[in-house]
Amino acid sequence: MIILALDALDLNMVKKYDCRNLMQLECGQTDISEFELARTVVLWASFLTGKNMEAKIPVKTQWEFKLGMKETFFQFFKSYEAVDVPAFSLKEKNHAEERRLLKAYFDEQATVEEYDAVVWKNHEENKDDFFSSLGQFDIVMGYFDLADAIGHLSFGIPEKMEKVYAELDKLAGQVASASDDFILVISDHGMKAVGRYGDHSRNGFYSANRKLGLHLPRIMDFYGMIREVARSGTS
Amino acid sequence: MEDHLAILERKSISLIREAKAQFQNIGCLWSTGKDSTAVVWLCKKAFFGKIPFPVIHIDTGYKFPEIYEFRDRIAKEWKLDLIVAQNKEALKNGMSPEKGKLECCTQLKTEPLKNLIKERGFDALILAIRRDEHGIRAKERYFSPRDEEFRWKYTEQPAEMWDLYVKPSEDFSHMRVHPILHWTELDVWEYVKREKLPVNPLYFAKDGKRYRSLGCMPCTVPIPSTASTIDEIVEELKTTKIPERAGRAQDKERAYMMQKLRSLGYM
Repeated sequence: MIILALDALDLNMVKKYDCRNLMQLECGQTDISEFELARTVVLWASFLTGKNMEAKIPVKTQWEFKLGMKETFFQFFKSYEAVDVPAFSLKEKNHAEERRLLKAYFDEQATVEEYDAVVWKNHEENKDDFFSSLGQFDIVMGYFDLADAIGHLSFGIPEKMEKVYAELDKLAGQVASASDDFILVISDHGMKAVGRYGDHSRNGFYSANRKLGLHLPRIMDFYGMIREVARSGTS
Repeated sequence: MEDHLAILERKSISLIREAKAQFQNIGCLWSTGKDSTAVVWLCKKAFFGKIPFPVIHIDTGYKFPEIYEFRDRIAKEWKLDLIVAQNKEALKNGMSPEKGKLECCTQLKTEPLKNLIKERGFDALILAIRRDEHGIRAKERYFSPRDEEFRWKYTEQPAEMWDLYVKPSEDFSHMRVHPILHWTELDVWEYVKREKLPVNPLYFAKDGKRYRSLGCMPCTVPIPSTASTIDEIVEELKTTKIPERAGRAQDKERAYMMQKLRSLGYM
């Protein structure tokens, strides 16, 4: 099984830019309305465990929060690889650098270009790690924060976001042509514009290369489905 | 009855005296700009002409020559106990804005101040920030604690009611004290005029441009202006539609995003 975890991938944007690879056979919106705040680490931890983790993850220490393998759906697979997955295998150094530059931008000590360059560099690194893992494990989950990180400072700039969505659509296409496995594309939340900036929205996204017949699934609902995939050995 | 400037001044002086009374080892940051020069003057007035703590100038090595000239002249005239802090090592290794604006500011501004606080054991610093400079500064308190990394936990600030400024009992490295937080840019210039304070000549228009805030040469840009006297600056500020931090039309959204990203845990 392959999970493409795309931070802040937004259903409306996928449709706007007609990203057919991201849409796959079935796509739709996820329901995260029960969460008080659409926080990245909380939503991914909830996806991984099948439980609402909001109360367990304080804002201040969220980036250090780590789940054990036995708490996640990875336990159901004989072998797994999780590339840069929040609340599990996050590349702390890369994300700390992105957050440092994000803050520096607001302190007028870094430009948006400096920030974007680091985000794209980290994206390329994750792509390398992700593609070299495909086919080696029963489940591979790759996390990419491109849409979220670029979106926070530039969601209102169409040329930039078009480039981001084109890249993510290309990524989904490459995954589909590299494997016949079950592919789930999922985001934690969507994004909405605040002038040139982007704020988290409730408009999360999922898609699959199989018909699942889901309607507004909660982000926790995928846990059971992934366990079934592991049990039936159809990954 | 007290006029507007007298009311502002009285509160600022009381804040400065409160800081001196509450803390053992304080210093006042002085960039030599209009705001911090007014604050140094308020410190002088608070202690009847002789400031009982050092005045600190962070010298990045990239300031305008006029700044160094102004600093040395005023320090002598006002008999200031001036500390000049500089990251000589970074300058020797060729640090400059070309190496990245962020890195340059961190190395040449933040680091020497951090080191100075450590070396001299300052437990409070007086700074000349104002609420009207930026949306996010409107959330500032007069007494604002910082940790070792200079982090400001704005959601955990206590309310400051009835002029009571409470020192937190733990979890802070030094206190930032903001005696002119309640002033506006116009108040500062009217005060400069009333008190006949010395002004760095860079503030006055030359060839249709003047500096509205002073920083390092490579990273500071003048604004179009014909105001070449304090009176003309006061008049310009009464009618101008350009914000002090000119060219920043997205300030409101920017402030909103900063707050939002903080609550989401990004900053």
